[in-house]
Amino acid sequence: MSRYDYYQPESLEEAFRLKKTIPDSVYISGGTELMVRINKKELHPRALISLRSIPDLCGVENGKKIRIGAMTSISDIKKNSLLYEKYPVLFQAAKELGGVQIRNVATIGGNLCNGSPAADLAPPLLALEAKVRLQSDQKSRELPLENFFLGPGETSLSPGEILTDILLEPPEKNTKTIFLKKGRTRMDLAVASVAVLIRTEGDRCLSARVAVGSAAPTPLRLFEVEALLEGATYSRELLTEAQQQASHSVSPITDVRSTADFRCHLVGVLVKRALEKLMDNEIGGGTRT
Amino acid sequence: MKKTITFTLNGTQIDVTADSHQSLLDLLRVSLRLTGTKEGCGEGECGACTVLVDGLAINACLYPAYEAAGKNVITIEGLTGKNNELSDIQQAFVDSGAIQCGFCTPGMILSAKALLDTHPDPSEEDIREALSGNLCRCTGYVQIIEAVKKAANRSKDKP
Repeated sequence: MSRYDYYQPESLEEAFRLKKTIPDSVYISGGTELMVRINKKELHPRALISLRSIPDLCGVENGKKIRIGAMTSISDIKKNSLLYEKYPVLFQAAKELGGVQIRNVATIGGNLCNGSPAADLAPPLLALEAKVRLQSDQKSRELPLENFFLGPGETSLSPGEILTDILLEPPEKNTKTIFLKKGRTRMDLAVASVAVLIRTEGDRCLSARVAVGSAAPTPLRLFEVEALLEGATYSRELLTEAQQQASHSVSPITDVRSTADFRCHLVGVLVKRALEKLMDNEIGGGTRT
Repeated sequence: MKKTITFTLNGTQIDVTADSHQSLLDLLRVSLRLTGTKEGCGEGECGACTVLVDGLAINACLYPAYEAAGKNVITIEGLTGKNNELSDIQQAFVDSGAIQCGFCTPGMILSAKALLDTHPDPSEEDIREALSGNLCRCTGYVQIIEAVKKAANRSKDKP
């Protein structure tokens, strides 16, 4: 068994101080990924610094922007009525993440900070053009989520920095969103996932945001597909073009869950299906349990 | 590092000395000798180690023991009554033949309890969803789902 010390700071300042003074220390949020890696001896931290006891990092606030504290659990996101009403796509993704036991502990910030291309909340947050706030003992900075992911397991976090908040603009009128995920079983990681947001006027698409998971080294916005959709009028041909463009815009890997070829195909199908469902108004959040 | 943590375990407040690197599962099984909670995969896939923390089902294998401080923890040992009579959910599992080897059963029952405590009249889809983090390798899911329905109906019938 790996041995490590465990600290539970109650403020960000205390967390920064501990991180600075203890070499080989690691921040832990829900730990559903980190603990597995420690148990498998892939990581050997000298100390874990838990962020669970810092009240500033929890909860959802409704202001000019909507702020989601990074330590908000996936279950709390799924249960939050404000988020459900404003961003049903987040609810859809939260519902698909892991099993109940994982959702009760895993956090939105942890989901992003792992830097996994398969993070279920990443595509919807990319489609919503979320920003993340990163804080250190020196400064606080905000950056668009799409600049946060650098590669598999790599993010823009500097040593000691903590992702504290996820910030969302209020939704625009006539906006529709959807999240689709294909996994092998209900609680598995995504073979591929897609989040689509469109703003429409009649059958014309005014703007589109398309993001995918498990289809590239990072969760990814598909700008070419968005450009194709924006200003266009819906037609079967447009959907086929979007499908083909999506398949060509990704660079997935072959792993235990799927082959790269199938993932390319699947991303195209999921994008087309998402657009079809949005056109047919087959959306909505489902039941909240 | 070691320290004494205080939490409520199956209705009784306890003080226990825990190591900083211990999981809640390890604390329960090794330090407190409550071996009803099982270790299956050790990575949050199988749900054999499910316990309730403040009413929520969690995987004890991935939950640092120190995080239990101040919380209310319920394990399978906490479900039986004063004279060791089975709870409604446990009895429903027995009556439905929802147990074969029994290894997944404590986790299944605690996931079912977390559901029924908040949704006393669940749909089959709710039950499937609530148990999706618990694997049974004897493939007894049909009877397990029946058992949860039975437990829900029994508590509805009670005055």
